[in-house]
Amino acid sequence: MNEKQNGFFANLAEKLNLRYIGSLVLSVLLAFLICAVILAVAGYDPIATYGAMWNGAFDSLRHVGDFLEYAMVLCICGLACVLGARVGIFNVGGEGQLLLGAIFACQIGIWLQGTTAWIVIPLAAVGAMVAGGLYAFIPGWLKVKQKVDEVITTIMMNSIAAFLCQYLAKGPWKNANKNMVAATARLNADYWFGNLIPRSNLTTAIIAAAIIAFAVWYVMQKTATGYEMRITGSNPRFAFFSGLKTDKIVILGMVVSGMMCGLVGMFRVYGVEHLYRASISNDYYFEGLTVAMIAQYNPVTTIYLSLFFAVLKIGAQGIELIGVPSQIYLIMQTVIIFFMAAEKGISESIQKSLQARRAKQAAIARMKGGVSHE
Amino acid sequence: MGEIAVQFKHISMEFPGVLANDDITLDIRKGEVFALVGENGAGKSTLMNILYGINTPTNGEVFIRGKKVEHFDPGVAISLGVGMVHQHFMLVPSFTVAQNIVLSREPKKMGVFFDNKGAEKETEKLVKTYGLTVEPSAVVQEISVGLQQRVEILKTLYRGADILILDEPTAVLTPQETDELFAVIRKIVREHGMTVIIITHKLYEVMQISDRVGVMRKGKLVGVENTSDMDERKLASLMVGRPVLYENLDKEDDIGDEQIRVDDLVVGDNRGLVAVDGVSLSVRSGEILGIAAVEGNGQSELLEAITGMRKIESGSVTIRGRQINGMDPGAIRGIGLAHIPEDRISTGVCADASVSDNLLMGKERNPEFNTLGIAQNNAAIRKYASEIYEKFDIRGAGIDVNVGSMSGGNMQKVVVAREFSFDAPVLIISQPTRGVDVGAIEFIHEQIIQQRNEGAAILLSSADLDEVFRLSDRIITLYEGKVTGEFKASEITKEEIGYFMTGKRETEAAHE
Amino acid sequence: MNDFGLLFNTVFSTGLFNEMLRRATPVAIAAIGGALTQHAGIMNIGMDGMILMGAFFGVLGSSIFGSAWAGLGLAVLVGVLVGLFFGLFVVKFKSDEFIIGTALNTFAVGLTSFLSRSIFGTQGAKGYPSLPNVTIPGFDKVPVLGAILNGHSLFVYLTWLLVLLFYLYIYRTPQGFWLRASGEKPQTLRTAGIAPERMKWTASILCGVLCCIAGAHLSLGYLNGTFAEKMSNSRGYIAFACVIFAASNPAKAYLAALMFGFFDAIGLRLQAYISSDLTSIIPYAITIIMMTYVVVSTRKKREKIHRRADI
Repeated sequence: MNEKQNGFFANLAEKLNLRYIGSLVLSVLLAFLICAVILAVAGYDPIATYGAMWNGAFDSLRHVGDFLEYAMVLCICGLACVLGARVGIFNVGGEGQLLLGAIFACQIGIWLQGTTAWIVIPLAAVGAMVAGGLYAFIPGWLKVKQKVDEVITTIMMNSIAAFLCQYLAKGPWKNANKNMVAATARLNADYWFGNLIPRSNLTTAIIAAAIIAFAVWYVMQKTATGYEMRITGSNPRFAFFSGLKTDKIVILGMVVSGMMCGLVGMFRVYGVEHLYRASISNDYYFEGLTVAMIAQYNPVTTIYLSLFFAVLKIGAQGIELIGVPSQIYLIMQTVIIFFMAAEKGISESIQKSLQARRAKQAAIARMKGGVSHE
Repeated sequence: MGEIAVQFKHISMEFPGVLANDDITLDIRKGEVFALVGENGAGKSTLMNILYGINTPTNGEVFIRGKKVEHFDPGVAISLGVGMVHQHFMLVPSFTVAQNIVLSREPKKMGVFFDNKGAEKETEKLVKTYGLTVEPSAVVQEISVGLQQRVEILKTLYRGADILILDEPTAVLTPQETDELFAVIRKIVREHGMTVIIITHKLYEVMQISDRVGVMRKGKLVGVENTSDMDERKLASLMVGRPVLYENLDKEDDIGDEQIRVDDLVVGDNRGLVAVDGVSLSVRSGEILGIAAVEGNGQSELLEAITGMRKIESGSVTIRGRQINGMDPGAIRGIGLAHIPEDRISTGVCADASVSDNLLMGKERNPEFNTLGIAQNNAAIRKYASEIYEKFDIRGAGIDVNVGSMSGGNMQKVVVAREFSFDAPVLIISQPTRGVDVGAIEFIHEQIIQQRNEGAAILLSSADLDEVFRLSDRIITLYEGKVTGEFKASEITKEEIGYFMTGKRETEAAHE
Repeated sequence: MNDFGLLFNTVFSTGLFNEMLRRATPVAIAAIGGALTQHAGIMNIGMDGMILMGAFFGVLGSSIFGSAWAGLGLAVLVGVLVGLFFGLFVVKFKSDEFIIGTALNTFAVGLTSFLSRSIFGTQGAKGYPSLPNVTIPGFDKVPVLGAILNGHSLFVYLTWLLVLLFYLYIYRTPQGFWLRASGEKPQTLRTAGIAPERMKWTASILCGVLCCIAGAHLSLGYLNGTFAEKMSNSRGYIAFACVIFAASNPAKAYLAALMFGFFDAIGLRLQAYISSDLTSIIPYAITIIMMTYVVVSTRKKREKIHRRADI
């Protein structure tokens, strides 16, 4: 009986990966602690600030809607990063793919003005996916066929996309309103995603996002394709040796990742902003990528953590009301990453120093023993 | 001659889960060539890394010329006159020969600047003193492996070493290069009074070069003898702990149609040099063709080209009647080929994946494991993996642990199990038992023979000549990418084969 | 034709090159730091954050002590700390340098914005004591060169010195050889008796200091005592591109930074004819193309097989 129970708990522990959860909880607590110190030093009341943060996220349905919308953005961006990482390519270019997806989706809606939403919205989604996917294809192809490091190319391509979109929004696709310097025309309200919670950012886009998240999770965790992706990402030489078309798998993984980012751009335009401007994404992909990193590229963990960080971010907007700069949120988030990224290194170096101390003590004990014998 | 250069006293070295060195006490005399032999994983390199200060022993003491080593650090070892040439060279590829030699002890000008001319002059001086010719201004990544090794030796000499450790120095050398190396060793010992410790597992080299020999087995030093009192047979049985006696394997003779055909094949290596230079061969079903060659003579590249892992420059490879030039490994496997690769960790397994994932590879699309093509059937996969696990006698913590955590022998069994489970009519096998314990060797050999008896055509390459002899029906020798001879395994001895592996050609031999 | 001549003259004036030099300098200083970490085998994505920290603490020091030099001093001190922080994770804990770099960038945005709002309010900091411009008397009379080279902020000139200094350090001193060995083949350096970590720490700290100097120059020199949120404006990434472009050679990295400065400056001048957003794309595109070219050509060279040259 007892043994059985132990076995059960051991299994459960393995499934939940207690070490990971433990270090995550510890990192979060430490982050709150460190930020409390920073707040106190800067002359704010940490407890009041955290209280305001809680209120900022949960005091009204509207805020709940806002954090759910932001969680959706983080989650799809994070999963896009996970998908790339799964096949062994690091998509740092999601920001650019998102922007391009957003602007093309928006422009499709403007070109087709007057057509029924049943045609415009699917076409816009396809447009966003094509834009994001093609933009991801370039670094994917360069990595696989030419062995050019994707991290650097995607970083460069983020800047290129940002400038390109800015050019389009200021120039050829500019809003007729002279006061809006860098924005496209506004979408017809017929095409907007319906609001789920009045006055919040939460729209029906979250349903589409949930379906995408489920599909990505299912493919990655439950299918032979997901298995092949995992093996390819983990040891591409072995995968190739075993007969997989690794080039195709990696490029496809990258393209799908880009398509997802493009879609996020479309969601932002058709759900919240209703036109394209730079504020469509304020490094949102990077925040999603950060979440994926903290989740150690586990899709389910990414989904949960997206929710957590979205609460923090929207909550942080609430602390502005009591005069505390909301950027404390960024500090908190990065402190968690620092701890999580260093977790292995820290525990190893603690172990090492403990070992060294033990060896030293043992040596001293031996020496003492030797002396007393003589 | 009686002076002691190095003294190990009760050295133990424990790595997590492994006792790599177990209470070793050993004296090495000044001015001798001491050979340290043992199988892979016997603890030779660990012991030498302690002497060179890379490892700090868990227990015990080291004395160099009577002085106790207090602090284990390569810098300290160097200052005590210890030099080491590692199996994997420790050279900076983009630096010149001279820059590599003086690294960490650079001549300076104006107090702060690196003196390149000075470094080259120093190198010239060493070259003259020891007769090891290299070009000081050559960039290291552009010179041959043999020359790189000379740079390594010169580096230790520049640092004032008089105790020189050579870790598997001949593994990457051609026979001529080996001869040249041995000449150098003799010279520095005789003329400069150096002490040389050479780690190897090639017994004929021990006999050729050393004065004394120490044998290690499973972390223990099991014997130290004068080389002149030993012979290869005695050494071998000390090494493996029992007389080397192979049981005869049951071979049925039923040779069928040609399955592998290679015509005038040319293949390059990673550095862009010709590795396989016009090789032709043919293997029929029900026979094993063994390749006997010193490491680095093109055998690896040959097998990789046949399996689609490496580009074919010219010539052709035909598997079961289909020319496979330009195909990827997946397409070639589709014709009916399975492959046990040379390096199991980089190629043969996915170390971060579970045993069951590794056993599944290649069958993940089979309907029985892939319900309706949309979901993996985990129950069936687990059942299948467990069966294979039992059948191939894999010993570990079950099918759910990561392969990377298993011992080398069991990891190899995972590779063998997966590749043999395809029942492919063509098998390409490279180093099937490298680093595998004796029990597992026996098992893997039996499996290979069983595949042969069931009609597979097998091309086998191994660094272990005994293995090639034991398994093969026919043997070809490769030297510098060319076939130098072809023999029936029953009609030739190991000594004769050695002759062809070092470049003698069949035609030349016939004239003598 | 005449139109073109006019265009040519307005665009390619001495002012263009003056502007190029001005805009290149902050990127160039950071790129020198990036060259050091790159040589030590650390891919430093975090330079943008380091620059931002330097920019903020430069202004902070200037505002507290009422002197730009004190601001620069504080920035250098913060640079050492940032370098130590980066080294702690990347060298000591062996964390993924990309994760740490990305996190450092976000961390810097958070910290500097938070502190800036707490200390200076939402308006940001403006008009604090700034680093002096250097005007060599009489030099402005020299045709062309005078107009291009004279009257810049101090660090425009000090950068030349830094480039020379670090070029010599990397390629002409024993420590430079150790630094390169620590990135290319760390184990080699270790067996030579020098811990590669030592060089990696050195590179991290120097990179932190140089990036913070770049930041201090940005806020105290380039913008005359002003801090604005996110004012590094991706210069860290541009500096990183310069490092890649220049194969970690600080002299070439300086030239690459000049190229970025050139396209930056020319974009403004061509505004009437072509959007500056489009000209801004050019340096990034060139970096990708160059990098691809370098990778592909070295691989092609290696793939062309040849017979072993006899010794």
